[in-house]
Amino acid sequence: MIEIQDLSFTYQDEKKPALEGISLSLREGDFLGIIGPAGAGKTTLGRAISGIVPHHYKGDFYGSVTVGGMDTVDSSLIDISRLVGMVFQDVDSQIICPTVEDELLYGLENFGIGRDEIPERIGFALGKVGIPELRERSIGSLSGGQRQKVAIASVIALKPRVLVLDEPTGELDPQSSRQVFTLLRELNEEFGITIVVIEQKIMLLCEFARRLLVLNEGKAVHEGETRQVLSHAEDLENIGVNIPRVATLSRALSRKTGKEIPVCINLDEAEKTARGLMA
Amino acid sequence: MNHVLQYIPGNSVIHRMNPVTKLLLTIIICVCAFMTDNLFFLLGLLAVDLMIGFVAGVAGRTLKIFRGLLMIAAFLFILQALLTRRGTPVFWIITDEGLMGAGRVVLRLIVVCMPLALVLAVTRISDLTNALVQHLHVPYQYAFTLATAIRFIPQFLEEMNGIMEAQTARGVAFDQARGLKKFSMILPLCAPLLISSVRRTDQTAVAAEVRGFRLRTRASAYRRYTFTALDAATFLFCALLLAGAILIR
Ligand SMILES: Nc1ncnc2c1ncn2[C@@H]1O[C@H](COP(=O)(O)OP(=O)(O)OP(=O)(O)O)[C@@H](O)[C@H]1O
Ligand SMILES: [Mg+2]
Repeated sequence: MIEIQDLSFTYQDEKKPALEGISLSLREGDFLGIIGPAGAGKTTLGRAISGIVPHHYKGDFYGSVTVGGMDTVDSSLIDISRLVGMVFQDVDSQIICPTVEDELLYGLENFGIGRDEIPERIGFALGKVGIPELRERSIGSLSGGQRQKVAIASVIALKPRVLVLDEPTGELDPQSSRQVFTLLRELNEEFGITIVVIEQKIMLLCEFARRLLVLNEGKAVHEGETRQVLSHAEDLENIGVNIPRVATLSRALSRKTGKEIPVCINLDEAEKTARGLMA
Repeated sequence: MNHVLQYIPGNSVIHRMNPVTKLLLTIIICVCAFMTDNLFFLLGLLAVDLMIGFVAGVAGRTLKIFRGLLMIAAFLFILQALLTRRGTPVFWIITDEGLMGAGRVVLRLIVVCMPLALVLAVTRISDLTNALVQHLHVPYQYAFTLATAIRFIPQFLEEMNGIMEAQTARGVAFDQARGLKKFSMILPLCAPLLISSVRRTDQTAVAAEVRGFRLRTRASAYRRYTFTALDAATFLFCALLLAGAILIR
């Protein structure tokens, strides 16, 4: 679904490349988490997948990005956006319309979704993110977290094949954050939507993402299956990515006992491992 | 955040009017205010303004706008009354013509500004732009630009407040400064604010683009805006106002 080959990108008038030599291959229905410190290039990579880089943000673009068979450089932004939906990091700049319903209507109207299908899509999207009661509200009267949910709803209403979310839980409390990831899992499993989510909350990524990409200073530090990436704990800690305590614990145990212990990514696994060791 | 330009949801007759009709009524009131010099007719127009606000069920907002305008008006009134030299003196250097003239200017200002602010309180901006595109064939791009500009005003003010709070926390005493002094303290903050606004507007443009901005046509809007008997009645009312303004100058 997404093929990135040796991608490097430098924003216009910037000296340092925002991305350097990134390669990535995702199949349809994959669930990728991207993590890394501030300024690592996470947003830029998200923009590259949705074609906003280099169509809107100009600069030196090397390598290639192919989404659903379309080369993002050769295809128009419109054609890419029929396939890829993106939730921006800065929610306030993403919201275009003054009320919740209008915001959802906007994309549906533009992409020519049939009049009879529109109410159903709006109901679906608002229901999925759990804010059907906010439908008539004006954006200005919403909290940051509510606005974030509106932004997510307005993109999933379009039912894109690929969904890119840039820190979608930045304004949310722990419970709502989990809700959003549960929703992403549902979209991923029920509709086979390919998910790319940039997220700082490592616990959520461990639990929900099947693959992880760790970025630092524009380069991919590690990429692969979640558990396997987590086994490089030191590399992650060195660039300031905190890994879950259970993972640290299982690694410490592994070192201490000299036994090969798989990395644990949640409490249940840790418990099982501990019991296994004591037996 | 409840800004004076923010939409207030409702289901009053005013809310249900076609947005084009609301705009027409606003424009007719403005035109009438400029055509007539008759103080009583202007007062009548003011009454119409207030009535619209009350009928729409946004009395609170109406009075808030009215009060705000009164403050500006008081200042203008004094200025105008002091500066007019014609007519017979009534008191000190103030003449009867000065008072009348000042009254007209001030009333006109209030009469014109009230509906302009009210129309945004009772109409969703998107309905306004959709209807303009649908009925008056305004190119969507222009309508969108206007709508976005209006939408960004409250956000701009909110950010301004944020910056001022941050500066206050660092010991800058905004609240003690008044008038020009305060203005000169705020001015330097505008540059960074503008830069961040431009950046943000740019991102909004991308957000619109990836959600099909360029595909939008006159037929895209989901909601349809028809004209009903209510609109016909309002057109009639507009005609009467206009006739009144022509007759009672
Ligand atoms: N529009 C832009 N123009 C110029 N340079 C930019 C632009 N956006 C980002 N950059 C630069 O590119 C680099 C990577 O930024 P990016 O926003 O992709 O990082 P990030 O990992 O998303 O960071 P954060 O966690 O803060 O969101 C940074 O050095 C940043 O200054
Ligand atoms: Mg970012």
